[in-house]
Amino acid sequence: MNFKEQLGKKLLFFDGAMGTMLQQQGLQSGEIPEIWNATKEDVIVNIHKSYLEAGCNIVKANTFGINPFKMEGTGYTCEELVQKGIRLVKRAIAETGKEAYTALDIGSLGKLLEPLGDLPFEQAYEAFRPICIAGEQAGADLCLIETMNDTYEIKAAVLAAKEHTNLPIVVTMVFDESGKLLTGADMEAAVAMLEGLRVDAIGLNCGFGPDVMKEFLPQLRKVCSLPLVLNPNAGLPVVVDGKTCFQVTPEDFAAVMKEIAQEGVSIMGGCCGTTPGHIQALVEACRDMAPLQLTDKNRSVVSSYTHAVVFDDRPKIIGERINPTGKPRFKQALREKDMEYIFKEALAQQDRGAHILDVNVGLPEIDEVEMMREAVTGLQGITGLPLQIDTSDGAAMEMAMRLYNGKPLINSVNGKQESMDTVFPLVEKYGGMVVCLALDENGIPETAQGRIQVAEKIIAEAAKYGIGKKDLLIDTLTMTISTGQENAKATLDALHYVRHTLGIHTTLGVSNISFGLPQREKVNTAFFTIALSKGLSAGIVNPGSDAMMAAYHAYCALNGSDPQCADYIGIYSQQAGQPQAPAAKPGDLTLYDAVVKGLSESAFQAAQKELESREPLSVIDEDLIPALDHVGQGFEKKTIFLPQLLMSADAAKAGFDAIKEHLKAKGGASASKGTIVIATVKGDIHDIGKNIVKVLLENYGFQVIDLGKDVSPENVLEAAKEHNVKLVGLSALMTTTVANMEITIKLLKKELPGCKVMVGGAVLTQTYADMIGADFYSKDAMGSIRYANELFAVS
Amino acid sequence: MKVDRKEALRYLGYGRKEADGQTQRLLDGVAEELEQDSLPKSIYREYGCKVEGNVVSFGNLDITSSSLAKNLEGCERIVLLAATIGRAADLMIKKYSVVNLAKAAIVQAAGAAYIESYMDEIESEIQREAKKQGLYLRPRFSPGYGDFPLECQKDIFAMLECSKRIGIALTAGNLMMPSKSVTALIGLTPIERQSCQMAACSQCEKTDCVFRAD
Repeated sequence: MNFKEQLGKKLLFFDGAMGTMLQQQGLQSGEIPEIWNATKEDVIVNIHKSYLEAGCNIVKANTFGINPFKMEGTGYTCEELVQKGIRLVKRAIAETGKEAYTALDIGSLGKLLEPLGDLPFEQAYEAFRPICIAGEQAGADLCLIETMNDTYEIKAAVLAAKEHTNLPIVVTMVFDESGKLLTGADMEAAVAMLEGLRVDAIGLNCGFGPDVMKEFLPQLRKVCSLPLVLNPNAGLPVVVDGKTCFQVTPEDFAAVMKEIAQEGVSIMGGCCGTTPGHIQALVEACRDMAPLQLTDKNRSVVSSYTHAVVFDDRPKIIGERINPTGKPRFKQALREKDMEYIFKEALAQQDRGAHILDVNVGLPEIDEVEMMREAVTGLQGITGLPLQIDTSDGAAMEMAMRLYNGKPLINSVNGKQESMDTVFPLVEKYGGMVVCLALDENGIPETAQGRIQVAEKIIAEAAKYGIGKKDLLIDTLTMTISTGQENAKATLDALHYVRHTLGIHTTLGVSNISFGLPQREKVNTAFFTIALSKGLSAGIVNPGSDAMMAAYHAYCALNGSDPQCADYIGIYSQQAGQPQAPAAKPGDLTLYDAVVKGLSESAFQAAQKELESREPLSVIDEDLIPALDHVGQGFEKKTIFLPQLLMSADAAKAGFDAIKEHLKAKGGASASKGTIVIATVKGDIHDIGKNIVKVLLENYGFQVIDLGKDVSPENVLEAAKEHNVKLVGLSALMTTTVANMEITIKLLKKELPGCKVMVGGAVLTQTYADMIGADFYSKDAMGSIRYANELFAVS
Repeated sequence: MKVDRKEALRYLGYGRKEADGQTQRLLDGVAEELEQDSLPKSIYREYGCKVEGNVVSFGNLDITSSSLAKNLEGCERIVLLAATIGRAADLMIKKYSVVNLAKAAIVQAAGAAYIESYMDEIESEIQREAKKQGLYLRPRFSPGYGDFPLECQKDIFAMLECSKRIGIALTAGNLMMPSKSVTALIGLTPIERQSCQMAACSQCEKTDCVFRAD
């Protein structure tokens, strides 16, 4: 029987630690253990044999640390060490005559993925790929992805294994004492993603001994429908005489493991500190026990890189604002690739209480695949809310699902065969819940019955891909009542049937109901409340609407999903006493004062008011710039400090936004003093200083091309050429990256002798800046403003 | 553990001056968020060590660095240490850079203060253990200080298994992520007066630094 056939039917046993055994054999701290696959074959084989003699049925090959980054400069390739590692297990199995499976053991790359780190997702995937291929070729029976602490890296490894091998996949992770991965993800979120990716078993390893892991298991069993794996350490590491030791004895280890097995588990073994003695005691104690009885937990769940959102009796809010439909300003942002505008919409909806964010970034004139890539990777860098991928472009959908760190919600599939043929294979592969629109080739059925029939067709088709009802969210389609009195009833009747008779969760784009009517919010809120009471699981709404959110919170308090009305009271008890925050009252402050005091909202409103009677240029020259100058001078005299300077910068930015809107409405364009390219140099990832300079430069009327961080000299040159700029700003934080700054300056000076370069950053000094050929050294953000103003005034 | 608000303000350039109310409020909010969401983790190991000329040797490692050698002069044992407050600070900086730049700068400062406090905590723990052996701590010394090559990060990461144990990773340029992380060597000396907590400023080459303490 192969591994997959045994899994879940019989309690299986992994072996124990490799590293601990190698250290006993003289492996030095910092030495790469996998090189011993080539240099000390017999040592490795003997360790495998001792575990086989101890009674394990799965042997982890000595391949945990193999990856292109660690192998660099060792003289070995990943492929050869993986193949040797697998063959050594095979040899041990043959020499002992035992029956056992060989696990290709894959560990973390030791790199942090974007957006926080510098490793792009696709490069992580590429790093895992050759390991998976070599492992299968050499005869591995399964792929164990272990000691993982980042769901994104796990996803890269799982996709590499799925796309290039047929090996069963087991994933074990390290949770800390609070039950979270180092990335902050909780178990529910990790399980949701992994079940979506259809791995074969999920579990825990390393970090703790069996006693602590035992405490985690009830939580894991509750949410996970897959076989469970447990490979604990022999207790917590203790440092004795400068050496790391694990002190739980084989007997104690086995005793706790037996208790765990009684509660249900599918595979058990050991991690750091466990020895053949531990595994032998474990196997002896648990050999004849039954494995965990598997049950489908039947959870409808999506997840982000931090947490899961479960569809249940408490309805959810899906924020609809990231969508260009009917929003000229949003369309403009998409055309200009103004990601910040999109990010702000996301954070505003999060603050307003959205649980999930819909992401629609399609416009006919832009590359939607590329925009989707930027939006999804960018959004998951700034918000922990799960995303709803909203596109009808299959390529954009796949891009988003691939790069998404979690289990996404997909918007949408419909009853047209073509749509189902496109969407369901993607859901099968990447995982996700999917919004199903009750329409097909014949259009939108007018009656509830017609929509239910389409829904049933979609459900049946989904089942062919192994996509169960729990992963569907049926949209019975809101049609405006302004064109038909029966419209609301058809939608609601179908909704009720789907939720209560078919037992499937539901969603609606709520505000369509009032299209063509005056004061739409009045109809929207009433319809929303009725829909909720009919069984709406998730409303796609604008969380910025007080009335809609009030309807939502009131409904939750009424239907018993807000215990003690705690959320309702928390939100509305404070608002009653003070209808308006006094500071935000428009008109109280002049634009100048609002900027000096750093109040963005007031600045925006004051600017709007000024523009009613004055020319934009006069507002800029007489109010905004003098206010910024005042703050800037204070900063240089050290009477005003960085946070205040930045609050004023943000306020001034709000003022400029008002002016831009004003000009746009009049069909004009805002004038720029000049264009400046800025970048944080190659190798450097600390860019907050650069971001500060950017905002200030923009405030002073410059157009800033921000190339971001870790930018190669060639890219800086290319941008400088493309935009024909006469000033480039570079930042670097570390001594080591100043070298790249020098290379960048040399390249610029050679190719664009007329272009000036200003530099800044923690380790720089005037002397240093002179040495590397910079034209100007700015010790702080205001210095760069002065220099840019001087440079552009001269011409 | 709390974020040292005063220290954070010092990093923001306030020196000993009081912060304005708005900044103070932002700082309090940021500090609470950091205290809530950060996951401080550390790992350290003790090694025997040899200092000969400019070369410092411990474990399998030989490091050529005159400033490190000077720092560890006379030490026969060292503690190799890595610590991080986790990813929360970096995520907050990313988020607030979009909506509130002042807050992003404050997270930067508060995060730096937080990892320093954490290092102080770990150092006192190490100090307590060392004292039992009659040893005292030298000021900690990190890759990148003086001529201690940043390249050594790779070896330190391998020796402490930083990625696996506490979730710090190295970028291609040997910078640490999460950014609020520290690796360091601490010499253990039997002579109490050689231990000195007034550390790095006098050894740093950035003589125009506004935070310089000498």
